[in-house]
Amino acid sequence: MEVSFHEEIKALRMGAGEVFHGEGILAITKGLLQSGVSYVGGYQGAPVSHLLDVMVQAKPYMDELGVHVEACSNEASAAAMLGASIHYPIRGAVTWKSIVGTNVAADALSNLSSPGVTGGVLIVVGEDYGEGASVIQERTHAYALKSGMCLLDPRPELGQMVNMVEHGFRLSEASNMPVMMELRIRACHVRGQFVAKDNQAPKLSKKHLIDEPAGFNYMRLAHPPVTFAQEKRKVEHRLPAARQYIAEQRLNEHFEGSTHRHLGLIVQGGLYNTLMRTLQQFDLADAFGVTSLSVLVLNVTYPLVPGELVNFCKDKSAVLLLEEGQPEYIEQELALMLRRLDLQTPLHGKDMLPSGGEYTAEVMAQGLLKFLDRHQADAVPEATRQWLATNGERRQQVQSLLGSPLPARPPSMCIGCPERPVFSALKLAQQDVGPVHISGDIGCHALATFEPFSVGHSILGYGMSLASRAGVSPLMKRRVLSVMGDGGFWHNGLLTGVQSALFNGDDAVLLIFKNGYTSATGTQDIINTPTDIAKELAGDKRQSMVHTNQTIESTLKGLGVQWLRTVHTYEVSHMQATLTEAFTTEFQGLKVIVAEGECQLERQRRIKPWLASLLSKGKRVERVKYGVDEDVCNGDHACIRLSGCPTLTLKDNPDPLKVDPVATVIDGCVGCGLCGENAHAATLCPSFYRAEVVQNPKLHERLWARWQGLATRWLQPA
Amino acid sequence: MTQPISILLCALGGEGGGVLADWLVDVARHAGHPAQATSIPGVAQRTGATTYYLEVYPLPHSQLQGRLPVLGLNPLPGRLDALVSSELLETARQIGNGLASNDRTLVISASSRALTTAEKMTMGDGRRPEGPLLDVIAAHSQRHHVMDMASLCQQSGTMVSAVMLGGIAGSGLLPFTRSHYEAVLAGPSSSAKASLRGFALAFELVTRQREQAQYVEHVMKPAAPVAAAALPAEVGAKFPAALHPLMGLAHQRLVEYQGPAYAHLYVQRLERLLSAESNSPDSTRPVTAETTRWLALWMAFDDIIRVADLKSRASRWDRVTQEVKAKEGDVLKVYDHFKPGVPELAALLPQGLANKLLRWDRARVANGKAPWSMPLKVARHALSGMASLRVLASLRVLRPLGSRYQAEQTLIEEWLGGIETATRLSPALGLELARCGQLIKGYGSTNERGKDNLLHILRHVCGPASAVPVAEQAEAVARIRQAALQDEAGQALDQALLQHGAPARPVKAQPVLWMKNPRLQKS
Repeated sequence: MEVSFHEEIKALRMGAGEVFHGEGILAITKGLLQSGVSYVGGYQGAPVSHLLDVMVQAKPYMDELGVHVEACSNEASAAAMLGASIHYPIRGAVTWKSIVGTNVAADALSNLSSPGVTGGVLIVVGEDYGEGASVIQERTHAYALKSGMCLLDPRPELGQMVNMVEHGFRLSEASNMPVMMELRIRACHVRGQFVAKDNQAPKLSKKHLIDEPAGFNYMRLAHPPVTFAQEKRKVEHRLPAARQYIAEQRLNEHFEGSTHRHLGLIVQGGLYNTLMRTLQQFDLADAFGVTSLSVLVLNVTYPLVPGELVNFCKDKSAVLLLEEGQPEYIEQELALMLRRLDLQTPLHGKDMLPSGGEYTAEVMAQGLLKFLDRHQADAVPEATRQWLATNGERRQQVQSLLGSPLPARPPSMCIGCPERPVFSALKLAQQDVGPVHISGDIGCHALATFEPFSVGHSILGYGMSLASRAGVSPLMKRRVLSVMGDGGFWHNGLLTGVQSALFNGDDAVLLIFKNGYTSATGTQDIINTPTDIAKELAGDKRQSMVHTNQTIESTLKGLGVQWLRTVHTYEVSHMQATLTEAFTTEFQGLKVIVAEGECQLERQRRIKPWLASLLSKGKRVERVKYGVDEDVCNGDHACIRLSGCPTLTLKDNPDPLKVDPVATVIDGCVGCGLCGENAHAATLCPSFYRAEVVQNPKLHERLWARWQGLATRWLQPA
Repeated sequence: MTQPISILLCALGGEGGGVLADWLVDVARHAGHPAQATSIPGVAQRTGATTYYLEVYPLPHSQLQGRLPVLGLNPLPGRLDALVSSELLETARQIGNGLASNDRTLVISASSRALTTAEKMTMGDGRRPEGPLLDVIAAHSQRHHVMDMASLCQQSGTMVSAVMLGGIAGSGLLPFTRSHYEAVLAGPSSSAKASLRGFALAFELVTRQREQAQYVEHVMKPAAPVAAAALPAEVGAKFPAALHPLMGLAHQRLVEYQGPAYAHLYVQRLERLLSAESNSPDSTRPVTAETTRWLALWMAFDDIIRVADLKSRASRWDRVTQEVKAKEGDVLKVYDHFKPGVPELAALLPQGLANKLLRWDRARVANGKAPWSMPLKVARHALSGMASLRVLASLRVLRPLGSRYQAEQTLIEEWLGGIETATRLSPALGLELARCGQLIKGYGSTNERGKDNLLHILRHVCGPASAVPVAEQAEAVARIRQAALQDEAGQALDQALLQHGAPARPVKAQPVLWMKNPRLQKS
């Protein structure tokens, strides 16, 4: 793991009355333990990775409680875990990033929702919607609707979030429905506080085992003919039970307005804070959430409770519904409710707010302005109108001051990342064989889609690169390259890609980045992660350890892959030659190149303390840094177009005769060696040097260096 | 109505922006104020740009009678109280998003740049000028502190997060005292001490700036190096004084490169241009002035001899020692990456031998082999490596016999002749052709490409064979030159050539790698 959760694990042990300070997602984790959860599973992904990571690292404490924690191989296996709660009264929770993860888990979720659950089930999903999201337009809400799962969208305040976790389990048990809790990115990472309760050791657990399996019950299978009976139960029993619980426990919050109480705002819980900040800009709310308009906060967005909504709407002169994302499921349902009862309260929503994109305070303010202009124009202060009008002007002024748009700064591979050299080699190999179609995948290597590599024609899903080539490569003159990480390989790629290509006898080229971890999500361990023993035994802790675990290679051989090459990623020329061979060989089947090189983040975590301890003991340590000779560099920057390393950058040309800035290697260089490899593989200008600094050198080494120094000084000009 | 104080922190991945947000929340907590922070890290932590958003309530819990403020998760454009950023371009980006306004926002920004990949990978100078970025800050902030955070970090040996915290504390934005902040940073470790040092430096700098109402620190940049080399008096007398500093440098460079005779040739060549320009009304002699730099650089073309000389100098050893921070008592080893191929060796041989060697290599390539080359790592610190560098450098005296030297002189003459003719015809065209000297730089294929492009312009855009109307040639050359600097493959160049009615560059012969594809043979 890239991060150590030492402090967070301590916070998980807090008892009643203690004040928890920390991130939203960790508060949720604490909430699970307070609810007496028996088992937890999931698959990592921003923004919910920390939930599982902390639990995995807190194994000793989880063992103490008897809680089982499983790092699942993908979201489908995490969702399938919930099957434990179908028969047995045990609470379980799983987590993943939505919507991508929910798509992967869809099959299991459908088959879980049909028979329903006995023990409470909570699915915590990171709602990756809007800014920075990969699939920006889809909502988890659709899954709750189609499978019949409750959907919680709590107000982003830690106490309320934990409260909703506890209610979530009870709601699940009261209704027999699985419950999902969606958390937006900023809510997962919000730092706040709440007063903790004691953790509950689960009644059935690894310490208190289930004595006998449940009796056979066909009704618990999602299988005809009972599926129709289950469908009926969903409508006739489960949904009413859920609505009853939600209403009785007042999970949704109604805040009565003051001056303009006849105007109503209905908002998804997750958007509540932003709505309050918006109302403050109209002087319609104070800092503590006391508002002039009436507000209904939906901490549960499915199922809706018709009684609550109708009661809220019936005495209002107009209602605005703030629902992020499209289609507007809540608005449609509410409109239908009002229509059926022939209630004439004007309902606004997507007619005044944008259908897509995040609902930031500015977006909400523009919608609210339209709403008030229509129904209470005197409630809008002049300053607010002006504020909204000048935002656009200001942006334009900046634009005209700057001239052209500023260059983007997307994330890039880390300094010393073992994947960067492969893309250098790929760029060089294409100079020989011509451009190839490259089907990309999800993972750190997807950062090669940015400059300077700009590589990858498609990304169809995690572990899908080989599968997504199946339609292209038979129709393409040149061979197609599929790039996949080891994370993607185990998540999905082995079956959808490798197995399928072998079965169909496809002529395909697959490059697997074997860096030993699922790095993009925070370097979680996977089945081919080097073992602790291997790391312990290594004499030189700096070397890549991934070769010590051969699970990928043996799996591929076992499946029948005949053309398999393993290349260390830093051997750029060798990688270039291997790629060229794969593109041109007469061999017609699946060709797999395993690109070996351990994730730099993990390597550095190991190296830093090791080197520090050597230095503190006065032992010999060799440090490597690369550099560029400023008077030799030609200012063409071909090296940067072939690397993109953050520490390889530019500085003013110190030679007053020359004008172009020269390349330079800044502090932070970890001496990975790519500069030197590229200089040779691509015949770059001869300005690169490799410097090795030996700290605490041995005596003979020092004497020899001194002698050489004398000799070279005698030869060197000024 | 009291509203929370809102702060947007901008940092690049790995700079400790998250740590800074945590510190601020802790400071507020210790001071008894409600506070909340959030972020959208994702993979942005991998060196991309990211932001952290904070709200702090200006009144302490003790005055709130148990009520808790509802704090926001998104910055409000134009209603932001502070924008604090570790990188100048990112500051401007957030202002461009409309977040800062001159009636409300305090901007604390680093003056330094971390260049984006797009800026770095350009063939010439793709860096964004800093002036407009600073103008944006000045125009869209209520007050601002722009400071060299990088040097404050270096002085104190800490990360930029501590420096940013010092800046925030010094600005008086939040209702906390210095001791509140320092209590959060304090600790027994050496990194905590470094954080406190960095904090103090920024705190004091911003406090001083507030007292003196002077918000942009005038960063002491080293003055542009003045040309130390004096031009021989008899040479100087012939040229306008404005040219002397650059010519002095050029003259010295060429004496060092090949000897006084070679430097004299340089002067003679420039004199030719000066006389071609003598009828022009412009007394600054722009064509000669423009050529001064490019001619010197071309005549001192980079070859193995020159590189070996530069790499074996004492000044270079000292520079490397400093750059890699080797301390007293450390052993430093420096390996130079060389990969000479046949063209580099042939360059040193007389024409006849060079041709034979090149033919041999071409035959190799025709047989499907890679061109011959020798990847070397020369140990500069060792006697053997140093001796071989000096032997190579000493080949200087033989350089004029080499084929490359001869070829370069011919091309230089063709270029100069072109400028001369053009100048007599139209000084503007002469000037543009002189500027084309910029295309010549570097080694190997970069150098070849530059020369090909320049010759193509000389032969097809102007000159007797040109299809471009004379009146339009100057502008055409300017446009085409700029296009030639855009991409390695020369797509922009070809497009520009065709646009101006000149032919695109001829297609170059390239070895073809055949791939067997049985799917094609079946039919």
